[in-house]
Amino acid sequence: MAKFRVLNPEGYPPKVSATGMAPGLDTLDGKKVFLVDVGFANSDNFIAQLHGWFEDHRPTIRTEIVRWGDQHQPNPELCERIRADGDAAIIGVGT
Amino acid sequence: MESKYGIPTVGVHLNVFAPLVRNTVRSSGMPSARQVFVPTPLMNTPPPILREYVEGNDPVHGRPFMEEVFDQLTRPIPSDELRGEDWDRETPRYIEASSEEEMHELFRERWYTDFLPIILPTEERVERMLTGTSHAPDEMVGKTRPTIGMEFWHYDVEKVAINAVMAGCSPEHLPVLLAIGQGGDTGRQSSMSSMGNMVVVNGPIRHKIGMNSGIGALGPYNYANAVLGRAFGIMSQNLQGGSVPGVTYNGSQGCNFSYNCITFAENEEASPWQPYHVEHGFDSDESAVTVSYIWGNVWTEYLREYWQEKLVAIFCALEPGFGCTLVLDPIVAREFVEKGFDTKESIAEWIHENARIPRRRYWDHVALNLIHQVVDAGIEPFAGYWAAGPEEPIPMFETNRINIVVTGGETNGHFSIFQGSPMRMSFRGTREVGPTVSVDAWR
Repeated sequence: MAKFRVLNPEGYPPKVSATGMAPGLDTLDGKKVFLVDVGFANSDNFIAQLHGWFEDHRPTIRTEIVRWGDQHQPNPELCERIRADGDAAIIGVGT
Repeated sequence: MESKYGIPTVGVHLNVFAPLVRNTVRSSGMPSARQVFVPTPLMNTPPPILREYVEGNDPVHGRPFMEEVFDQLTRPIPSDELRGEDWDRETPRYIEASSEEEMHELFRERWYTDFLPIILPTEERVERMLTGTSHAPDEMVGKTRPTIGMEFWHYDVEKVAINAVMAGCSPEHLPVLLAIGQGGDTGRQSSMSSMGNMVVVNGPIRHKIGMNSGIGALGPYNYANAVLGRAFGIMSQNLQGGSVPGVTYNGSQGCNFSYNCITFAENEEASPWQPYHVEHGFDSDESAVTVSYIWGNVWTEYLREYWQEKLVAIFCALEPGFGCTLVLDPIVAREFVEKGFDTKESIAEWIHENARIPRRRYWDHVALNLIHQVVDAGIEPFAGYWAAGPEEPIPMFETNRINIVVTGGETNGHFSIFQGSPMRMSFRGTREVGPTVSVDAWR
């Protein structure tokens, strides 16, 4: 069968390099979890409710609310602080 | 935070974005990234409902949300998942089908088109298109992406030419599209806010390719205006890696402007002011193109007896974070001059001074969440606007976010005020050029 051939209109995708994950924790009990508000509309209120849930249901898990700042840029200072003072993070609410 | 800092981190997302999240984590090389989901919407949802989100089910995984959070942070992760995944995608140079009809169907199935009829980019047609520029087919032009946070795709001259063929362009149109491509803007932005675009062409190229800046300039009454705008949209969706609803496009309602990206030429000859590109550093005998992001427009007419009151009301009804663009018929431009506005800058200053809203309302806009970091950094004037009292009047727009373009055929004194302006440099695909880009460099 005769083939009809055209040029592909798609651009060139980047080659994806593997990005490693951090190992999971054995437990969250006795650990500190940072609750990171990324700054999108109403994410602060959601993170506050998440914080309230931990206080009501899992008081042995320490939590602290922090704000990411510019959600479109890295925040190395905050990440260093979480690494130094925390064990895990929950970040939201994003798309 | 996971890879660089070793912090186990779970991301919370809205369930409507589950396909986008899956696509994004895979293209970041971490396909097993920890993700949990809450119902949509989040914005404007009161705290008691947000608490129900926390205490209810993750709608994607079908389990209690907090159980999913705990599981994500404490589950043992196999070593291959911990390592992440190298990944490459092939985009073969040619696409084959058994017939022309089948090829059209294939293009629609792959979301290559805007679903209006296209011209298939055969090798012969693309070769002819490439006669429109002196640049080599394999010269890299730029990079773009659906929205900030997503991966950039790159493209060369030939890729832009392929999409130009699809949209029905002629070779003489190609330099304009290459300039747009170099600027790195997208005509298929994935913002939930459903933005469209505006493309303004300035300089001698307007006449060389026969663009319309007279009667009906913003409508479907000119070959170059029509195909250039369409080509910008089609090339954006293909060169950036797609514009597929739910995955690479998430505008809640979509934008009808996207069919043509509001593409027109400035009526420099009838304008009493400097052309737009001259305001942005080009000589009047140079040709340039400017891409803006647009959310809608308000039409009005003449500067009548209560024109100040009316304009202030219009400007104050817009969203302050997006900027604005006035597209004036030459009749209206001359009316502004008769009222003492000798330059476009003087109009921008008038708008800045007079279009103000109380501080409480100024910061009650979603878009301003996106620039809250400038407040945190203490950058003026926004830090001062944040510190102001609730009733203190705050300017809707800074003067550098107010744009004025003259176009139209002087059949009457009508004009439109568009919500939007060129994208801030921090949001664009490149900081090396633009937002106004030379067309001459691509001849």
